[in-house]
Amino acid sequence: MSASRDFADIQRMLTECAPGHTIRMTDHFRRIKFGSLIYPSLPKSKKIEVGHIHKMVRHFKIQECAKKHGMA
Amino acid sequence: MLMTEPTIDLKDHPILITLQDTISGNGFLARITVSGRTLMRQEEDGKWWMYGVRPAAIAEAGGTIDEAFLRFRQAHTQVLLDIVQESPNFDEFRTEVERFFNENDVDEQAWEEALKAVRDAHIAPPEPFSKLPRQSPDSRPARIEVERLDGKITPFTASDNVTVTYSVADKKAA
Repeated sequence: MSASRDFADIQRMLTECAPGHTIRMTDHFRRIKFGSLIYPSLPKSKKIEVGHIHKMVRHFKIQECAKKHGMA
Repeated sequence: MLMTEPTIDLKDHPILITLQDTISGNGFLARITVSGRTLMRQEEDGKWWMYGVRPAAIAEAGGTIDEAFLRFRQAHTQVLLDIVQESPNFDEFRTEVERFFNENDVDEQAWEEALKAVRDAHIAPPEPFSKLPRQSPDSRPARIEVERLDGKITPFTASDNVTVTYSVADKKAA
């Protein structure tokens, strides 16, 4: 597992794999909403450790699509 | 003669967590007590990752399992602080916190499979989990309690407190 990915790469993955998602900044995290599901704890940093990304991908059940971006 | 149990090489380790926070909101004071579930896994980056199961939407890592748990606990508190920041009243805060806790994902199935592997093997948790308490999830179901404390009529007692901790899910009591 590579250590981290740029948030811009994650945005590109979400655009394809989680269409209609929204991203909002809270006091502590990025809050990502996809359909009725919410991932409220994505770090705000520019580089994000892949463990966070993989967990969000599993939470949104978009593993197959995210694999194409090397994020599952 | 001292008998030691054999150990198993598991990838996913089923963990029980207990968390408690007291949070001030818009005109209210709330206490949140969680009896939750997480999976611990050592990833290829060498870190121990704690992945939420109940609540699901959190992941944190550390160089040790203690560090991963402490960072997970901190992230959980920060999510509660974000929720309360956007809650106009206690009822909406409680609704959103309960939604956050109950929204599950595929890691719940992985947790059940990891627990089954532990139970079927009849063996002790491997390092670095061998020193942790062992608890049965059967007697400790996943649950969250969101209480309003301001205006509480019944007196506060020391027994209201819980120890923030984590333990290995197993069939055996600690």
